[in-house]
Amino acid sequence: MTQDFKPYANEADVLRIGDLEVENRVDRVTLTGDVVLTKDRAGLALAKELRALIGRVVMALEAEKQLPETVELKVTGTVKNPFA
Amino acid sequence: MPCDILSHMSRFLSLTLSLAACLAMPAWATTQCRAQFAAGVAPTITNPKLMPRTQEVCFESYAVLNSGISRTPLYSAEHLTRANVEAAKTLSRHDSFHPESSLPPQDRAELSDYARSGFDRGHMSPNGDMSNRSAQAESFSLANMVPQVHANNAGIWAGIEGAARQLAVSEGEVYVVSGPAFIGSDLQRIGNVLVPTHLWKVLYSPAQHRAGAYVITNDDTRTYSSVTVSALEKMIGVSLLPGLSQKIRDSGMELPKPASQRGGNRRKSQPVDEFALRDFSRTIISAITRASQHRGNQP
Repeated sequence: MTQDFKPYANEADVLRIGDLEVENRVDRVTLTGDVVLTKDRAGLALAKELRALIGRVVMALEAEKQLPETVELKVTGTVKNPFA
Repeated sequence: MPCDILSHMSRFLSLTLSLAACLAMPAWATTQCRAQFAAGVAPTITNPKLMPRTQEVCFESYAVLNSGISRTPLYSAEHLTRANVEAAKTLSRHDSFHPESSLPPQDRAELSDYARSGFDRGHMSPNGDMSNRSAQAESFSLANMVPQVHANNAGIWAGIEGAARQLAVSEGEVYVVSGPAFIGSDLQRIGNVLVPTHLWKVLYSPAQHRAGAYVITNDDTRTYSSVTVSALEKMIGVSLLPGLSQKIRDSGMELPKPASQRGGNRRKSQPVDEFALRDFSRTIISAITRASQHRGNQP
C-alpha cells in the first residue's frame, strides 16, 4: 500500500496503517492517531509498512537540495465576514 | 412540497413533469437526502446572508449543504447507527482528498486552496463513521471539509467524533449534524476558502427524545461548551432540526464526554479526562448575542 505513496507529491493521498492516518500534503506529511505493533505476524506486517513509509519520507527530504529550516506557509488573508 | 407527494400525484401528471418539478426546486426548500436527517427534514437557513450560492449534495452516508461563498459545507448530516460504527472499525483504507465534481467550479474548494495553508482539511462527517469503502471514499470530498487547526482536528474534535460513535453504539442510532460557524466582523481566508471561527456538532438521540450540541473554537483548545440546539441555531443562523419539536430543540442533553482517541477504544477502563466542559463560556454567549443583534439590524 505504501509503495504508491509519494511523500510531498500531492495534496490528495491518505493511507491508513493500524489506526494511524497518514496524510500527504505538498509541505508536510501528517500522521494522526495511533498504531499498536503487537508481537505477532500482524504487528510485523504493520511495522514493515511503517518502516517503508518513513523510509520514503526520509528519502524525499534528503533528496531536497535546499531543505529550509522551517517550511514556509502562504500568508492567510483577512476578509470582511460576508455572513455577519 | 416533498417530492414523494409529487410522486403520488404522478398518476394525474406525467412522471416526467413531477421529476422535473423535484429537480427544479431550490436545495433549501426540499431535500433529496432524507435518510440523513432527523424526521427526514433538512436543516433550513434562517440568516439570509448564508443563502446565496448554496447547493445540497447527497452522498451514500452523509449530506451537505455547500456554500459557494465560504466554499465549505454549512452543515454535514449523518444518521449514525450501531451497525455503521461496527462495520467502520474493520476497514483499512487508501483514499484521496478530492474537489467535489458535482459542484460548480466557482463555488467549490480545490486542493490548491488548502495547500501550504497550515490548516487541516477537517472532516465534518468523519470518515471513521463510514461503514463501507465507497462511503469512506466519498467522505474525502472537499464538500465535507473546512479549514481546521491541526491540534483541534486531531485532539478535541476527534474526541467529540468518538463520543458521537459511542452514543450510536450504546443507543443503536443517533442523528448527527456538524458544521462551521463564522462569527465576528472579519474572517481568515485561505485561497478562496473561509476559515471558520468555531465548529459544532449536534447530537439528537431518538431514544432519549433529547438533543444538544458541542461548540468549540477553531484553535488548539482543549475545552468545549455544551449548548441547546436552539441556542446554536440562533448563533449560526441555520435551523438544524426543523423536523423535531421545539421542546426537543430546547431540551439540551447530557452529551457524552469527548475522550482522547489515543489508544482507540481499547482502554475503556481508564477514562481519559483531558477535554474539559466549559460551562456556557462568555465567548459563546457573546457570540450568540452578537449574531442575533446583527440579524436584528437586517432591513
